[in-house]
Amino acid sequence: MLKCTINGKEVEVKEGTTIIEAYKEMQEDIAHYCWHPGLSIAGVCRLCVVEIEGNPRLQIACNTEVRDGMVISNVSDKVEEAVRWGLDFHLINHPLDCPICDQAGECGLQEQYMKYGQYDSSMAENKVKKRKVVDLGPKIVLDAERCILCSRCVRFTEEISKTNELGIFNRGDHSMIGTVKDKPLDNDYSVNTVDICPVGALTSKDFRFQQRVWYLENTATTCPGCSTGCSVSVYHNKEGAYRVKPREDKENNGYWMCDEGRNVYKFVNKEARLLSAKTLNSGKLSSVRLAQALEDFTSFNREGKKVGVLLTGQNTTEEYKAILEMFAGADFFHWKNNEEKFNDFDGLLKRGDKNPNTNGLIETISNLKDAKSFNASNYDLTVAVMPENFLVYEDYNEKLESLKASKNLLLFSAAKLPKMELKTENTWVFPLKTFVEKEGSYLNHAKTERRIQKATSIVTEAVALNEFAAAVSRGLKININHHESRKQNEFTNIPGQY
Amino acid sequence: MEVKLLTEHYDDKSFQGIEGYKAKGGYEVLKKAFKMKPQEIIDEVKASGLRGRGGAGFPTGMKWGFLPKNDETRYLLCNADEGEPGTFKDRKMMERAPHQLIEGMIISSFAINSPKSYIYIRGEYNESTAILRKAIDEAYAAGMLGKNIMGSGFDHDLDLYVGAGAYICGEETGMISSLEGKKGQPKLKPPFPAVQGYLSKPTIVNNVETLAAVKYIIRDGAEAYKKHGTEKSCGTKLFSVSGNVQKPCTVEVPLGYSLMDLIELCGGLKPGRKLKAVIPGGSSAPVLTAEECVDAKMDYEDLAAKGSMLGSGAVIIIDDSNCMVDLLNVIMHFYHHESCGQCTPCREGTGWLEKMVKRIVTGEGRLDDIDLVLKVANQMKGRTICALSDAAALPAISFVEKFKKEFEYFVREGKSMVTSKGAPAHA
Repeated sequence: MLKCTINGKEVEVKEGTTIIEAYKEMQEDIAHYCWHPGLSIAGVCRLCVVEIEGNPRLQIACNTEVRDGMVISNVSDKVEEAVRWGLDFHLINHPLDCPICDQAGECGLQEQYMKYGQYDSSMAENKVKKRKVVDLGPKIVLDAERCILCSRCVRFTEEISKTNELGIFNRGDHSMIGTVKDKPLDNDYSVNTVDICPVGALTSKDFRFQQRVWYLENTATTCPGCSTGCSVSVYHNKEGAYRVKPREDKENNGYWMCDEGRNVYKFVNKEARLLSAKTLNSGKLSSVRLAQALEDFTSFNREGKKVGVLLTGQNTTEEYKAILEMFAGADFFHWKNNEEKFNDFDGLLKRGDKNPNTNGLIETISNLKDAKSFNASNYDLTVAVMPENFLVYEDYNEKLESLKASKNLLLFSAAKLPKMELKTENTWVFPLKTFVEKEGSYLNHAKTERRIQKATSIVTEAVALNEFAAAVSRGLKININHHESRKQNEFTNIPGQY
Repeated sequence: MEVKLLTEHYDDKSFQGIEGYKAKGGYEVLKKAFKMKPQEIIDEVKASGLRGRGGAGFPTGMKWGFLPKNDETRYLLCNADEGEPGTFKDRKMMERAPHQLIEGMIISSFAINSPKSYIYIRGEYNESTAILRKAIDEAYAAGMLGKNIMGSGFDHDLDLYVGAGAYICGEETGMISSLEGKKGQPKLKPPFPAVQGYLSKPTIVNNVETLAAVKYIIRDGAEAYKKHGTEKSCGTKLFSVSGNVQKPCTVEVPLGYSLMDLIELCGGLKPGRKLKAVIPGGSSAPVLTAEECVDAKMDYEDLAAKGSMLGSGAVIIIDDSNCMVDLLNVIMHFYHHESCGQCTPCREGTGWLEKMVKRIVTGEGRLDDIDLVLKVANQMKGRTICALSDAAALPAISFVEKFKKEFEYFVREGKSMVTSKGAPAHA
């Protein structure tokens, strides 16, 4: 361990720690644009300057290692002047189009300007003109004038996605990020470049112009897109969820997530959802109040009935436990999509098992049978839990169709259902909560517990399986927590906004 | 007086070819070097006090000493990307005495145990390139390059790499990036090239003149070499003298030579003209006023004491027919054009400086601009990966501080103070 003094405070750091890492460790403010903990050091923005006792020249904190006894400061007048000018150099050719910029509210330039800003521009000359709406690929748009050429995105494609689509073209103040002909920015991780872009230069086609970021809350949770279970933040407001961004998690996903995982917010919003419970009424499914449907189901005598339960790896372990208890003695079937790809891994984050909790299901319910052998007509009561991310289930419609053979059907679905002609005796359909509306845990590919947390309520009539089971066992006393306030614990603190 | 060490045979056309070169004792020093131990050569170079002739003036022997003491492959890179405005000494050396450079490189490579060296030559130097190529072929044919050179057991290959015209590739790590096939941009230091350079291997980058001087240090010994020059600035130096002298040329004089004598050596000023200023070490060196020139000595220490630098030895003589605002405009245009764009202060600052100076030159300047030029330039100094930002800032600061009246006049009157020239041609 090395001892050093940072802004007057004595700290101990590991050998090989850079000054900027030491600042981050002790949560001391330090301005920077090009440095990112997940990327190599570029040392080009020159904003992280610090004064080291005994050295007349300011040094950059990102490329200087702490040495024993070093006395470091970034609160001296000299440093502040350098940062102020460093910021001004970043801004003189920046278009300052914050009112129409999607990054406004979460922009590195705005943040530093509030702290170091000089509040009037000393440059009387015309700004350098660059290209404005450059289509870099299917998911990303570049505004070259906003770009501060920190090279984070270029380093990302070199070092993380290893796809090398991006480069800096030209020289000096006409330098511009770009791609070469016939090789657009299109890889499985491309949208990370938008996250790490400290300004509004790279924007995601999916999110741009959808919402002002200050109208969105974010909730720390886990991506349900595959068995990796990346730590993510879901950004949402009363209307629904708008985007998913990765959250720093050194052991699991580092600083990144895949582009596919970013789409998981799409199946949680109202337009994709089943909004109310339904029961069978003279051969037709019709909407009823949740309480009504529950009462209806509870009055059904399950005594001595043969029950078959169809489950996927898309629910929480807590839900599996509740369903196992509720239907003790039933046959449980595991419905898998692309099972032959379950062990696929792209070497970075993406896994072939597109369910977040296959392991949780397997560990919770022993004697799982393969859903290929499931035949609804063998049972008096069929319980089917449809996957919330149904797009990854190629046989989704086929399975739904096969449920028609049920004698009695208890169906849970988060997604909107197609019109169904049913010849069952009884059918109860309950809208299911998605990962943003409930709490619980997944067991990922490495059998590590991954927590999910309630972000918002989108479908007010939706239930989680454990809530359903509790309500039924309590005898209709529905206690479905839709409106509890979000707990502020360490889990909700979002570390590492770089 | 001139001391012709490196330039002794410049006027002999046959010196360009290997036969003529050998007739004048060529490759004899290499033979001598092979009889020495590599460390002895390094010690001799250290003892000679030779400092890098490319601009930074770093002690050559010390640089070689930074190489790791292990078996890792190492490279020698000859910096022939002579791009500093005002400098043309290396070009002349490559054209008049190419084998002298090659011999110096083989000796140096032997000293640092490098199996492969490159000459990175400036893209515009077509003639030098052709002559060097021929010389390298001759050296291979004569067994001076390749396997088991002169029966010494030392193998060495030498390649020529032609740059694409970027000034920044003259910066040693920019050159390494370019040679690696990447965009010519300086690399963040540490690690330094001697530890991790070309292809991440230990690499020594030396200037053409430095490597040629090594030959003469080995030929005559460090003591003999040190007899030239001053105590701290040892040896001779090639100066590219240009601007308002009657005979612009390359001359070799001992370090510590008087600047005024150097001007006389180049034929002096045109009749009727008065000395106004001198840029003593290439366009990035702070300008000296005529008063400062009177007792200026052309060595590292004296010029540093005067707030300027010896740089690459490009001496630009400016007489009273020149407008300093106009000159600064030209210099600022150059650095704006050549900034690689990596570091923000340089990328944005060089453009800003040019725009401000250009505005003054076109008669649109504001009085505030003069101070702003100083402020901006001061904030560009020492803030970037390489020295290009300083190279732009230093002339800006020195021109404005030392010739402030001319700048103020231009802003006030909208025209140059230098009446004989009138409005600048490209204003």
